[in-house]
Amino acid sequence: MSSPTHAEPVVHARPHKINVRILRQDGPGQPSYWERHQVDYEENMNIISVLQRIASQAMTVEGKKVTPVAWDCGCLEEVCGACTMVINGRVRQSCSALVDRLLKEHATEIELRPMSKFPVIRDLMVDRKRMFETLKRVEAWVPVDGYDDMGPGPKLSRAQQEENYPLSECMTCGCCVEACPQYTKIEVHRRPGETDDQYDQRKRETYAQGFVGAAAISQAVLFNSHPTGANIANERMAVLTGTGGVQDCGNAQNCVAVCPKKIPLTRSIARAGRAATLYALKRIFDH
Amino acid sequence: MNATNANFLTRHDFLIRRLHSLTGLVPVGCYMVVHLLVNSSLMNGPGAFQTNVNQIHSLGRALPLVEWLFIFLPLIFHAVIGVWIIRSGKTNTDQYRYLNNWRYTLQRWTGVVAIIFIFFHVFHLHGWFHGEWWLENVARPWGMANFKPYNAASTLATALQGFLWPIFYFVGIVCCVFHLANGIWTMGITWGVWTSDRAQKGASIVCCIGGIGLLIVGLSALSAAITTDVQQARNVEDAMYKLRVDTGEIVDNPEKRYHAPESLGDSTEEASPDEDVSE
Repeated sequence: MSSPTHAEPVVHARPHKINVRILRQDGPGQPSYWERHQVDYEENMNIISVLQRIASQAMTVEGKKVTPVAWDCGCLEEVCGACTMVINGRVRQSCSALVDRLLKEHATEIELRPMSKFPVIRDLMVDRKRMFETLKRVEAWVPVDGYDDMGPGPKLSRAQQEENYPLSECMTCGCCVEACPQYTKIEVHRRPGETDDQYDQRKRETYAQGFVGAAAISQAVLFNSHPTGANIANERMAVLTGTGGVQDCGNAQNCVAVCPKKIPLTRSIARAGRAATLYALKRIFDH
Repeated sequence: MNATNANFLTRHDFLIRRLHSLTGLVPVGCYMVVHLLVNSSLMNGPGAFQTNVNQIHSLGRALPLVEWLFIFLPLIFHAVIGVWIIRSGKTNTDQYRYLNNWRYTLQRWTGVVAIIFIFFHVFHLHGWFHGEWWLENVARPWGMANFKPYNAASTLATALQGFLWPIFYFVGIVCCVFHLANGIWTMGITWGVWTSDRAQKGASIVCCIGGIGLLIVGLSALSAAITTDVQQARNVEDAMYKLRVDTGEIVDNPEKRYHAPESLGDSTEEASPDEDVSE
């Protein structure tokens, strides 16, 4: 984790109770509504432990019995991205969002919202499928499929390794695109009588019309700078210069400001921009 | 916007956005720099300014073609696509209050102000179209098309009288200069000119200094225009006109000159000797 534990802020007046305001939604396409919960303060809480208490109480601050608030989590150490949500107005992982720090930011209440750029599955759980589909579209991998022995891989210079490593830390959590003013929500509702395959197909086609976002651009840059990955560099560039490609970036640079892994996304976008310029010129003059 | 248009724009997303980025610098941005520099020559007096204007108007019949091909059409393209780009995003400075995010939002706001400003600025001084019907029935009745190229400083100063127009021009110049300076910086990322953190920081400083410099140039031009003595300027311009027509440097064209309203009697005397020349 990026923040050292010895630098924990000391909260002098520790509260007995923590007020939590949650934006809930019962299912995809349903209206959202606010609900207030209260849990006992414990030392060293994070948002995950707060949500665990809330789920076990299943009762609002007014004493109304409600269904447990749904959320998603995985690794609990800020490397999987599953528990990403909007906490006190800023997108981040709930596992590494420490209550003591949040109370320092805003003493009376903690506000939890699902990410606004993805379809809500339920409460704080969202469907980040668009991001994973985009990773598939930009072929964010090294293509080494096959049964034949290809021998040892090509050597990467130390400098190249050091440039690539930070980009490889991306966990597709969605912070960058959640904070991006150019990345707008695309939600595809299921039509009556539509099969799973048809629905998935329609989702893929609709997502492909939208902006690819910083994470996918950075991954395309990462695999284009890998000696073997670069074999399909042009295929990646075709996506990055297609509909919703790197050109849709508006340079607000929120992506780099909110990235929990501090990935130099603006740098990746500029490198993708340069590659796109050269790719487009090649397409015109070498065709 | 109907579905076909939206599809056309999305299908050619890359080309259109890159052309939008390019036209912002060439020719629109470059034109703006030249325009403000020429205008700032008014600081040296109406004669210096008139010499520059004469230089531009020596293009004669080709001038409207140059205006439309290299200024108005690229500008309109940049504006229309700019509005489409603004509509494709959703600003969030209330939630993410970072300096760079403010710049993103300001780039959009200054762009909108620039569209409004330039539309009225061209209407106010130039009139948009040179046709007599347009000028007589639309532009002039609304107090527009005030600039006369062969009486450059005096007609400009007259048009900027009062306090509303100078404020309008002040806001317009500030927004246009910010939009260009910030636009050049983001353009460097869009095209991949500056990719490293160091290069981006360096480019920020250069764009910032360049922007402040251009703002000084632009505001100097504005203050020079406001403080110009109309009568004095007109005398200089009329004397220059006679001389330049005699030496064949400019084409005799009464439409590009100031004509005092006929009802003013005595005051027309001052302009009338020169009208003889133009006949």
